Amino acid sequence: MTNGFPTNGMDGDGLPAEGKAIGTVVGGSLTDGVEIRLNPSGETLIEDVKVGTFVTIRGKRYRFFGVVTNLELNSSDSRLRHSPPNSDDPVVAEAISGTMAYGVVSVLPNLTIPLLAGSHDVPIAAKTVPSHFSPAYPASAEDVQSVFGQDDDRHFWIGNPLDMDTRVCLDLDALVRRSMGIFGKSGTGKTFLTRLLLVGILQDGNASSLVFDMHSEYGWSGQDSDRNLQVKGLKQLFPSLVSTFTLDEESSRRRGSSVDELVRIGYGEIEPEDVELLKENLNLSDVAASAAFNLQQHFGENWLGQFLQRQGPEIGELADEMGVNRAALGALHNRLSRFRRYPFLEDSNRHNAAATIIEHLERGKHVVLEFGRYGRDLNAYILVSNLLSRRIHDRYVELKEEAEGNNGPDPRPLVIVIEEAHKFLNPAVAPQTTFGVIARELRKYNVTLMVIDQRPSGIDSEVMSQLGTRLTCQLDNDRDIDAVLSGAAGSRQLRGVLARLDAKQQALIFGHALPMPVVVQTRDYGTPDSYAQLTAKVRPAAVEAIPGETREERIEREIGELFG
Amino acid sequence: MQHSKDESDKRIGEVVRADSATLSAQCYDLYGAPSLGALLRVGDPAAFAVVQGIRTEPLDPGRPVLARGRGAASVEQVYSDNPQIERLLTTRFEALIVGYDSSGIYLQLLPPSPPPIHSFVYACPPPLVETFTENLDFLRFLVNSGSPLADEVIVACLRAVAASRNRDKDFITRAGRALASEMTGEAARLNSILRRAQL
Repeated sequence: MTNGFPTNGMDGDGLPAEGKAIGTVVGGSLTDGVEIRLNPSGETLIEDVKVGTFVTIRGKRYRFFGVVTNLELNSSDSRLRHSPPNSDDPVVAEAISGTMAYGVVSVLPNLTIPLLAGSHDVPIAAKTVPSHFSPAYPASAEDVQSVFGQDDDRHFWIGNPLDMDTRVCLDLDALVRRSMGIFGKSGTGKTFLTRLLLVGILQDGNASSLVFDMHSEYGWSGQDSDRNLQVKGLKQLFPSLVSTFTLDEESSRRRGSSVDELVRIGYGEIEPEDVELLKENLNLSDVAASAAFNLQQHFGENWLGQFLQRQGPEIGELADEMGVNRAALGALHNRLSRFRRYPFLEDSNRHNAAATIIEHLERGKHVVLEFGRYGRDLNAYILVSNLLSRRIHDRYVELKEEAEGNNGPDPRPLVIVIEEAHKFLNPAVAPQTTFGVIARELRKYNVTLMVIDQRPSGIDSEVMSQLGTRLTCQLDNDRDIDAVLSGAAGSRQLRGVLARLDAKQQALIFGHALPMPVVVQTRDYGTPDSYAQLTAKVRPAAVEAIPGETREERIEREIGELFG
Repeated sequence: MQHSKDESDKRIGEVVRADSATLSAQCYDLYGAPSLGALLRVGDPAAFAVVQGIRTEPLDPGRPVLARGRGAASVEQVYSDNPQIERLLTTRFEALIVGYDSSGIYLQLLPPSPPPIHSFVYACPPPLVETFTENLDFLRFLVNSGSPLADEVIVACLRAVAASRNRDKDFITRAGRALASEMTGEAARLNSILRRAQL
């Protein structure tokens, strides 16, 4: 298996075959990566080497594992630029190419493996560079496997390296331990990548996920607009492990989605912070937004319900009564009246949606909240997801504190998935929103975020820096590219790699869940084969377990769940 | 390596001066020198050399050659009218040593000692040329000979070897690559050599 390089023959030193050397190290540095001059034999054409592919370099003491970050055409005679050989004469051109005019491949060495015979050391981050004239080889499938691990219970196959059949796997525990980000411009495959990651989290079995499914595409079937077919959602693939909640029953019914719970939210559950978060979208001034806090002081818990009941002149009177600006309060009333159009908001606090969701999560379920037609209304999306997340956040903090107090089990790790993340996590609101808090510190409370966004530059840099694993599809805005790569080792070199991703099904992945940055062709999702492969590894029993539950209790509960 | 007897037919002269890097030989026949750039086998054990210059001159440097053909109709007539000329002139050539035979292995290195004076000089037959030029390290000697005719010798040598190899195009390409790694930064020179080698 190769990554585009010709790999015939052995390297002849008795060690496992690595294919034929493509070149030798001729210079470079740890920060900028090493330069490999392609062999003068001309067997490896520079056109065969692609940016983003893997290369191993055999130094004297270590084997280095790196990724191609740049390709350069060079010549030993600068005059060749001014008087190139006559292209009609193939002999001259061929004699010069590879010898006087040659290709240089820049490789960023990421990992080292000690070069001892039979050594099974795990690769560690490269702290040195290979010595001069070390030979470089195309990475073999075994190399890739030794770096990214086997596709086993703890590792999830996310895709294949470019032009290779071997699998790149993510370390699932590391993935869910910190927040992660999925970026890419519209139509580059963010949704498919997210589906895969969610399946990975399901496979891991140690964490739950809560998806705020803006476009109703994760729970039940989703659309593959390229292939023009419906793809299965999580609930269809893992019916016993996934609960779908909906805000919009009609939409769910129309789409044939099997819904477990309907989400209804009482006005009393909305807090002034939620309004603060919606300030920009509702076009509210600072004064108007902060009037919500006055209202809460004034009315208490059900401030919004009571406020919206006031009409016309009553609002002016209320403003005078509370000592806030009349125009500001009028504007606030005007904007918040839009909430009345949301049927999922109701006066009573009968349904405690957050509590139901938490209950499902604690039972080891994965929850997908479909927004139906409200997904098109950003205000509804922000309001509901922030509100529910706040509740869940509070509950997790409680659980964690209890756990610390009684030395009981930790709350089950939770990954909250949000789309259009820059609306929650932009520098103006990130310090206040629940998501900002989660992104910054909730790792301690076993809650992490999976943020999905097409404008990462809009996300607060403090939040970006907390993202453990970043997966990015094609981006073409410079600021977005900078934002995604900020803080990554070798970001300058990765920039070139990121800028050249294909528009579909390719992603650059780097961070905690894997030992080095890698460009993958994401694995297939949507064919019967892919469903079979994805579902093969998920063991319901492992996921169903509740900490502290005895085996008998669990069996009883499983029977109960199966047969109602 | 022992060479078959029939090759002795192509014996063309004897070494009359030798140092570690070059040798001079005198031809048995006037104008009987091998071509410029030809590969030679010298002595036994053999050293290999490439012809880098040929000159025909009076045997006695004190007796310069005089013009004799005022009334003659052709050059041939000059020679036939003056049969002594062939006795008074001789053809000598200079060759650059490029390798030797070390117990049957052709090494493209300078021999430990130059060939003895009076060693016989043979033209290499095509099979031997082909065997010797499997390795192209010897081109390095030609590139760095310092002779003002170095490039012409390389061109002549490549043409001669290619001719022995039935005008093998691949050989010229291979030689071009070998030369390119020797002639770093001299693209124009390489270009000119390769262009002319193919004429």
